[in-house]
Amino acid sequence: MFACIHGADAARLADSFSPFVEMVDEKTAVFSITRRQIRQAENLPHPVAVAATAEAAILAARNLPGYTFIPHGQEARVLGALSIDALPPDPELFETFHLWGIRSLEDLARLPQDDLAARLGDRGLWLQRLARGAFERPIRPRIPATIYEESADLEHPIKLREPLLFLIARFLHDLTARLKSQSLAATALHLTLNGNPRRHSVPFPTRDVKLLLKLVEHSLDRQPPEAPIVKIRLELIPTEPRRVQHGLFTPATPEPEKLELTLGKIRGLVGDKNVGYPELFDTHRPGLARPATGRSYLAFRYFRPPLEARVTAERLWTRMFQGKILQIAGPWRSSGDWWRCSVGENANWNRDEYDLALSDGALYRIYLDRALDRTPKKWFVEGVYD
Amino acid sequence: MAAAFPLGWRHVEPLDILSAAGRDFPRGRISEIIGTRSSGRTSVLHALLAASTGQGEYAALVDTKDAFDACSAASVGVELSKLVWVRCGGNAEHALRAADLLIQAGGFGVVALDLAEATPAALNRIPPTAWFRFRRALESTPTILTVVSDCPLAKSCSFLTIKMPPRRAVFTGQAPFLLLRDAG
Repeated sequence: MFACIHGADAARLADSFSPFVEMVDEKTAVFSITRRQIRQAENLPHPVAVAATAEAAILAARNLPGYTFIPHGQEARVLGALSIDALPPDPELFETFHLWGIRSLEDLARLPQDDLAARLGDRGLWLQRLARGAFERPIRPRIPATIYEESADLEHPIKLREPLLFLIARFLHDLTARLKSQSLAATALHLTLNGNPRRHSVPFPTRDVKLLLKLVEHSLDRQPPEAPIVKIRLELIPTEPRRVQHGLFTPATPEPEKLELTLGKIRGLVGDKNVGYPELFDTHRPGLARPATGRSYLAFRYFRPPLEARVTAERLWTRMFQGKILQIAGPWRSSGDWWRCSVGENANWNRDEYDLALSDGALYRIYLDRALDRTPKKWFVEGVYD
Repeated sequence: MAAAFPLGWRHVEPLDILSAAGRDFPRGRISEIIGTRSSGRTSVLHALLAASTGQGEYAALVDTKDAFDACSAASVGVELSKLVWVRCGGNAEHALRAADLLIQAGGFGVVALDLAEATPAALNRIPPTAWFRFRRALESTPTILTVVSDCPLAKSCSFLTIKMPPRRAVFTGQAPFLLLRDAG
């Protein structure tokens, strides 16, 4: 027998009956019920239905008040009074039913099965079986997500890196074996040492212990623990494994595992924020804007940060170079993000840009910073066309 | 000699010019692009990156002075999602180490080492053996190592050296309403 509860806390109530509960929607829970439990279900505060099929129980719980028990073989009789709208919506078929004068489930259940199948196909036949309460299916219980984690509270603190890596390697072997048994792979690694979390995302799903251990090793190199380790927790975030089909004519690309380790080493050298893939944004901010389609821009090199300059009508001076101004084009006024603050990476900007040919033979882009709260106004050399 | 870089992407004008002159970028070798500011060295580099990433290859740019402009690179066809960008904050030693690691990783079509605008003091600290190591590491790989700089650095280790002569900026219109049309 199956029972269905329809109400606000259906999930909680259903859990008290069975560990295997299917949530049909947020308010409807269906589960398998024993004869002994049927009596307990009678006293629940929400509409409850018990029937031989899950779909019959769902229909009854959703559309009939209080407790409903449908004896085996009596589904069509109990459900027959319900409106045809109680069935899962299908506008096309419902219009046909309306034209045929079918208003209740009883009307639909009475139609000849073969003739209905000939006119409305499988979908019509399925709706009729639902109306008769005769559609049988197993329930699809929700399965709580498995957490792949290992942890240890150590009696003797670990001061050296090697013993720590040895322990982490053991955890990784266990966790990847568990992932493998479930045909899963890891997409991120969360390591917590003495309560301080470190998160490493892997750009591709993997179960390679060597790779994961190397990532941890690079992380420890970059940011060694501040104190001896007494508490360690390692969690792998599961995902579907990678499936790659190689082509004969596709160009060779770096091996993902090797590339990730290489980038990890380079990050250790130049910093986390200095390695990655450049990205343009949907903005007009200079340096970040996407180029207009079909337009080719002159190659440009930035001076980061921009060079502060002194500019007169004839000359330009910076700490790196100076020269006579031969030609100048502009100004082009540019401003944006006025609602933001005036300092930091995402500061507002308001400036007049000029293209300037200097006597040293180079062509620069300079700008006058016109932001209201930045006084006195300053000139900067943003970069050089190259 | 390793296979030359095939020019399959027709909108890459600077590379077309080089190709017409019979100077393709050789694979498995060091190539140098030398020039002063506004000489067009970055345009050639962007064109090379566009040709490489346009063919589905991955490319890497080791940017010593954080000078890369993604907008102008994207406008000539560089696929930014296939370009690994390493910013070295002006440290030439880090740039060399990063380039070495990227070459060792393998699989890149182009590894570009941009040493332009680096200070002479930083360039002087580069040991000549570094270029021999690069040359050895590149052998029998399909990777092009391109060094962009103000002056020759790899010397005898470089298989191809392209010297970009200074070019004059072209403005259109009448003063004071000028518009920059071309440079480099």
